[in-house]
Parts: sequence; structure tokens; C-alpha cells
Amino acid sequence: MTGLEPVVAQVTAIEASLLVFVVLTALVTALARDVLAAVIVFGAYSLGMAALYTFYRAPDVALTEAAISAGVTTVLLLLTLAKTTRIDHETVFEEVNLPAAGAAGFLFAGLALTMGDVPAVGSREAPVWSNPDVTQWYLTETYAQTGVENTVMAVLAAFRGFDTFGEAVVVFAAGIAALIVLHREVFA
Amino acid sequence: MSVVDTALVAGYTVGEFLLFAAAGFVVLAIGMLYRAVKGPTMQDRVLAVNVLGTNTVVILALLAAALSEPTFLDIALVYALLNFLMAIAISKFTVERGGVL
Repeated sequence: MTGLEPVVAQVTAIEASLLVFVVLTALVTALARDVLAAVIVFGAYSLGMAALYTFYRAPDVALTEAAISAGVTTVLLLLTLAKTTRIDHETVFEEVNLPAAGAAGFLFAGLALTMGDVPAVGSREAPVWSNPDVTQWYLTETYAQTGVENTVMAVLAAFRGFDTFGEAVVVFAAGIAALIVLHREVFA
Repeated sequence: MSVVDTALVAGYTVGEFLLFAAAGFVVLAIGMLYRAVKGPTMQDRVLAVNVLGTNTVVILALLAAALSEPTFLDIALVYALLNFLMAIAISKFTVERGGVL
């Protein structure tokens, strides 16, 4: 943990540029008039998001973002587009719906108000450290109990393995239901 | 002390220099975003996103070197594969409507 603070303190250039990229792609995705253009720019958005997750030392989240957002979501949206129609538009951008933008602005402002209470990255004052008996138990005992080196992975796959198994069952059931709706019960 | 911590120029270490390089690549990605938005044809957009994807792979590789986290290279590999898949899917969609994969 001690090695993390100087890294975070000095590297604002890449953070700032990545955030600008992510916000720009998100805005374009929301405002693009053409659906296919929105899908393509949304792919670019998830590229930037995964780089940001990687920078914040969350490679597992970045991998999930890459596989789900850039891969599966893009293909699913394209499949949906192929099954429906795409209208050609003269203008590049949608007109902004002012009441909806106002509501989104209020939500953003409300969320921004809570940012002051968020602890700094790597801070020892963070609530996750406020119960050291629990956190330290997991950090010291995980390997002895499960044989998994990564604590997060051990919690997901070992300590709450049945919960994760239940999630997998739900996803599997949803996949079967989608295949039945699409009349693709048989892969031929 | 690894290579990343050795001083390079003007008091900056190699790691910091790599991070600045990664930030530069992100700025280039923002420039490429103009082509993805403006188009005018879908082929322009597909190419723009393909370049953005390659850019991201470079950024991830630079981050892996700068932060001394070799496992980040796995994400770069996954992205290189996904980038190819995305380009193929969108290209096929624009050429033969209805076929994605």
C-alpha cells in the first residue's frame, strides 16, 4: 500500500487524458443520430474504460470490461441492428432533450456532492480498513484456507462459491431463454 | 531497483517517462475519435475504431511496463483479439447486411 501513494500523486496526465477520452466517447454515444455510429463509438468507450481500470490496478475488471463491453455487447447490438432496420440520417447528432438533460444534471450534481466523503486512493482511513480484524483475516488466511493467491478471486470463487455458482446458473438460463426466443435451439 | 526506477532525463524516471508516453497515446486516441464521429462513411468509422483499439493495446503495454505489472500484458492480448473481432463483425455487417459473425 505504501508504494501506491506516490504513483497516484504524480500520474495525473494519463488519468486526465483517459477521462477526457471516456467522457467524449460517452457523450458521442448518447448523442449520435446514427445507431451504427453509436455502437462503434461505444466500442471505443469500453476501450478507454478498460485502460482506465488497468491504470487503477484492477486488471480483472478490465478483462471483464474487454470481453463483455467491447466484444459481446458490440456483437449483440449489431445482431439486433441486422434483425431490425437502420434509418439513414442527414445530421450527425441528435437534438438534446432539455428536460431529460436537466434530470441527468440533477442526478450528476447529487452524486458529485457525495464525492467529498470518498477516501483517497490507498488511504489508511478508508472504511475498508475500519474493521481490520475482518480484512486482515482474509489477507492472512486466504492462501492457507483456499490455496488461491488472489484474495478477490478467493472470495468470489471459494468463500462465496455457491453464490457465484448461482449467478452462473442464472446467466446460463438466460442464454437458453435467448436461444429459444431466437429459434436457435439447435446448432447446425 | 528495477529499470523503471532509474533516472532518465531532467529528474524523471523511466517509469514516469513511459506514463507520459501513454498519456500522449491517449491524446492521439482523442484525435482519432474525430474520425470515428465525423465519418463520413462507415468504413472510416471501422478503421478509426480499429486504430483506437491498437492504440489501447499500446497504452496497456506501456502501463504494464511503467507500473511493473507484467500481468497487464494479458489484458493487452485480449484486447488485440477483441479488436480484430470487432472490426470483422462491423465490416461484415456493413457489407452483407444480416450477417455479423
